[in-house]
Amino acid sequence: MNLRHLFPLAAALWICGTALASTVEAEKRLQVAVDEVLGAADKAPNAAALMASLRPILQKHISFSAMTRRAVGPGWRQFTEDQARKATDLFTTLIIRTYSSKFTPGQRPVVNIKPATSPAPGRVEVPTTLVYEGSRYDVVYRLEEAESWRITDVVIEGVSLIANYRTQFDSQFKKGGANAVIGALSQSVANP
Amino acid sequence: MKRIPSSSPFVFLVVAALALSGCASAGKNRYTEPAPVGGGKSDGKSVKLLDDLDEYDTAAIFDPLEPLNRATFWLNDQIYTFVFRPVSKGYETIVPKVVRSGVHNAFENVKYPVRLVNNALQGNFKRAGQETGRFLVNSTVGIGGLGRPADHIPALADVPTADTAQTFSKWGIGHGAYLVLPVLGPSSLRDTVGLAGDYALNPVNWVSILYGGYTWTIAIPSTNSVRSLPVQLGAYDAAIKNSLDRYLAARSSYVQYRAEAAAK
Repeated sequence: MNLRHLFPLAAALWICGTALASTVEAEKRLQVAVDEVLGAADKAPNAAALMASLRPILQKHISFSAMTRRAVGPGWRQFTEDQARKATDLFTTLIIRTYSSKFTPGQRPVVNIKPATSPAPGRVEVPTTLVYEGSRYDVVYRLEEAESWRITDVVIEGVSLIANYRTQFDSQFKKGGANAVIGALSQSVANP
Repeated sequence: MKRIPSSSPFVFLVVAALALSGCASAGKNRYTEPAPVGGGKSDGKSVKLLDDLDEYDTAAIFDPLEPLNRATFWLNDQIYTFVFRPVSKGYETIVPKVVRSGVHNAFENVKYPVRLVNNALQGNFKRAGQETGRFLVNSTVGIGGLGRPADHIPALADVPTADTAQTFSKWGIGHGAYLVLPVLGPSSLRDTVGLAGDYALNPVNWVSILYGGYTWTIAIPSTNSVRSLPVQLGAYDAAIKNSLDRYLAARSSYVQYRAEAAAK
């Protein structure tokens, strides 16, 4: 066979090879995150303690700034630096609270990580199944490579966390811009 | 459920195969190319992320009846809080978990015609066959569907569910408009017709459809409603908890969930 014919194949393999490296890396990253979260959930005596111990772990593995930007959408460009920081802080608290509240003490979820796919360069989707309290859920984690691989969205049974908040933020933003979004967020954080 | 360590060569091969097949079809992923931002900066990584702001699909749905829907949504919320939640709590307190799960399984098993007919209407005869296998195994070995031994047979496990609204969706019929039904909650014009189909196909309702008008005919459907309350309320809570606008949160969750169910 002429060597010239091998070149496109080699190029294709090289491109796929880099995609493969990223999916494996993202899967590993997710496994570490899951192990750390479950470890913390096992040790926490109550919901408040769990929330406190989960915060640093989640902040390490989740890109809350990317999540907030996405959840707000195009309106984000009109946020001042101060407003952006406020919105990110509030949204972070809200997400951590949502996540922590899903754990029932004494119940250990079983997470099964499946092979990931890369829908675009720098992005990976890791499908998982979660068996918890006798029910099975399909959960897809979306990760992105910024400084390292970070989770930017969680899709539970087809429902994307970010898309869900985006609908709500959009409507607030149309009503009163960045301040309306921040106001609604603080209200939601204040009323569990 | 066994977990294979991610470092094993087997998993590596599977990942490799999937990554390659994913590579081959990279053109049809669900991300759209981000629109360029005014100013044309494209150097740093933070800018790259900002460029993607427009990309998320927010599960939009035509909602011309929003004011009415919001009123119904509020009313439902009151009904859930003051009627359904106490009933659900009572059911969970009085009836032991083993019995509840048996009752739940049995009612789901009886719903077999809903899944059979709709899989057939969707042209998915493999799943129709799997559902028949599940029904036979669970009804016999599982003693009238109280247990789910079919879950342990790989060929019969994890069969995605099918319903009438989903069949309409697969036929290419859209939601029409979003509709919050009294008591039942989030739906759409299409899915409401679908619910009527599911109702007619569910043997649980056959007695009351045929001999309606007597009190005893609603005993079985009522039990069916009560046993499904904890699950339904759980889904409702998951959708609205920590939201900024409960109505929008429930609407978005519903539309996304239905889209995913139809895509499976």
